[in-house]
Amino acid sequence: MLLDFNRLGALRYFLLAFTGLVLLFLILPIVFIAALSFGSSQWLIFPPPSWTLKWYQELFSDPRWLYTALTSLKIAAIVTVLSVVLGFLASLGLNRGEFAGREQLRALFLTPMILPVIVLAVALYALFLRLGLAGTTVGFVIAHLLVALPFSIISISNALEGFDRSIEDAAILCGASPWEARIKITVPSIRHGLFTAAVFSFLASWDEVVLAIFMSSPTLQTLPVKIWTTLRQDLTPVVAAVSTILVALTFLLIFVPLVFRKRQKDD
Amino acid sequence: MTRPFLSIQGIRKEYGGVTAIQDVTLDIAQGEFMTFLGPSGSGKSTTLYILAGFQEPTAGDVLLNGESMLSVPSHKRNIGMVFQRYTLFPHLSVGENVAFPLRVRRCPKSEIDDRVHAALKLVHLDELADRRPALMSGGQQQRVALARALVYDPPLLLMDEPLSALDKKLREELQFEIRRIHQETGVTILYVTHDQEEALRLSDRISVFSQGRIEQIGTGQELYAEPATRFVAGFIGDSNFLAADILSVQENRARLSICDGIVIDGVPVQGRPSGPGRPTLLLRPERISISLSRQDNGLPVTVRDLTFLGNMVEVSSVTDQDEPVTVRIPFGNPVVSQLAAGDRVWANFDPGALHAFYG
Repeated sequence: MLLDFNRLGALRYFLLAFTGLVLLFLILPIVFIAALSFGSSQWLIFPPPSWTLKWYQELFSDPRWLYTALTSLKIAAIVTVLSVVLGFLASLGLNRGEFAGREQLRALFLTPMILPVIVLAVALYALFLRLGLAGTTVGFVIAHLLVALPFSIISISNALEGFDRSIEDAAILCGASPWEARIKITVPSIRHGLFTAAVFSFLASWDEVVLAIFMSSPTLQTLPVKIWTTLRQDLTPVVAAVSTILVALTFLLIFVPLVFRKRQKDD
Repeated sequence: MTRPFLSIQGIRKEYGGVTAIQDVTLDIAQGEFMTFLGPSGSGKSTTLYILAGFQEPTAGDVLLNGESMLSVPSHKRNIGMVFQRYTLFPHLSVGENVAFPLRVRRCPKSEIDDRVHAALKLVHLDELADRRPALMSGGQQQRVALARALVYDPPLLLMDEPLSALDKKLREELQFEIRRIHQETGVTILYVTHDQEEALRLSDRISVFSQGRIEQIGTGQELYAEPATRFVAGFIGDSNFLAADILSVQENRARLSICDGIVIDGVPVQGRPSGPGRPTLLLRPERISISLSRQDNGLPVTVRDLTFLGNMVEVSSVTDQDEPVTVRIPFGNPVVSQLAAGDRVWANFDPGALHAFYG
């Protein structure tokens, strides 16, 4: 290859250094937060004067943190299931349907990705106030589903694109009804796409804050909203502790499947 | 007359104003191996998809044992099919693939095991039941697909160019296997291909498709010896065509004049002209011999080129009217060494081996 790494000469040291800098830039804030969460200073002084676990103790002793985390988890779980199911159905229609306006419909499904979230949030808030959905779990789920669905549709559509429809036809001629064929043959064949859709849908809801601020009520808060409101009241290392746990969980959610998938390929 | 096993009656299919197939009518006997042969876009696959239920005809009917199939959805037609592309279920093992049709039919477990084993044995893959399709060669995958299509004893097996993705040697090997399986199981097979050699090798009868119509139905020998149209003559085997004038016809044997006055007597002729029209005379390249001096029924030609084809030498020549005549002579025939481009020689033939037709 023309741009083979070994042929770049001195340039490659520059490239290595530059890549290292970018990585550092991305990772450093996270390292900072993690360090601060174990630091003893209440004012988030860096480097920490000494090390402690008391912010984690404080975090776990306050039931409101756990409660909002569970709320987040519940909403994200419902959003994930709905997003994958609806995303699969929508992708089937968009990939195989032959109807006028198909491409326009696909674009419409993806608009929540490019629309400014704040616009969506204000619009939904105004609508949900009238419908009585503001501050309810249903309202939360609908709002987050809107931003999660494009991720599902993109990854499931791609998977369906790469799936030979003759395989489904073969299952039908073998005696499976069209839906039986889709569920027993097509779904397992595109499971990687469905899994990606699930992970991204979960994350889209789990760490979403703008819509959540509008949808929340004093009794219904997700974790990002709780972090946000806590930060506004006072700066406490407890927030750093929460953030560290969140980062760790997200990290697990993304990298465990990668390892899992690699192992599957090696089989 | 007994009722035909499968009867395709006047099928027509239109897509938004374009007619894909029209007037496709044929009867197929139980246990027959029928091949649809034609170039791509000739409607052979469309006809097969209508039988499979993936497409609905605009007009016409398909009767299996006297009952219309068209209102039956694909999954209830109980038809086996092997596709052009590899269609094994990627997440299931070979054995599970073959078991799938029995599972959806809710067969008891012990029966499934026995029948899967028997089906895999039929295609000589009973050793590989636990293997994943991704780890198999194309030929093996198509064998598994064949086992999967036969495991539930369908009355009809559709095959849509199943060997076209394989290389020549493997293709011939599987053609042999398909023939053997057809003889062992007695299943009725409808086979689509664009490969005339494959069609001749496998089929009891062949339907030649062109531009959405069946041009001719017959055994390979009939299509080769008595093609009804120029298209069939050109598609099955290699051909020379010469324009001819009929002088007289007696009992399907014609006296013809070709190439400005060369008269040949006793040529089999197919069909009768409804009006004035010139028939075409078909000469197969391998039924012509070449001599340096004049013989009976000889046609003077000028040699243009010689091509060595292994067991044959192909002589390209033209008549005095510039009509091309290709001749194939077995390699080793002494006349070959005496030929050179530009020579004027005689192309000789037995009139009974020729064939004249209108169309």
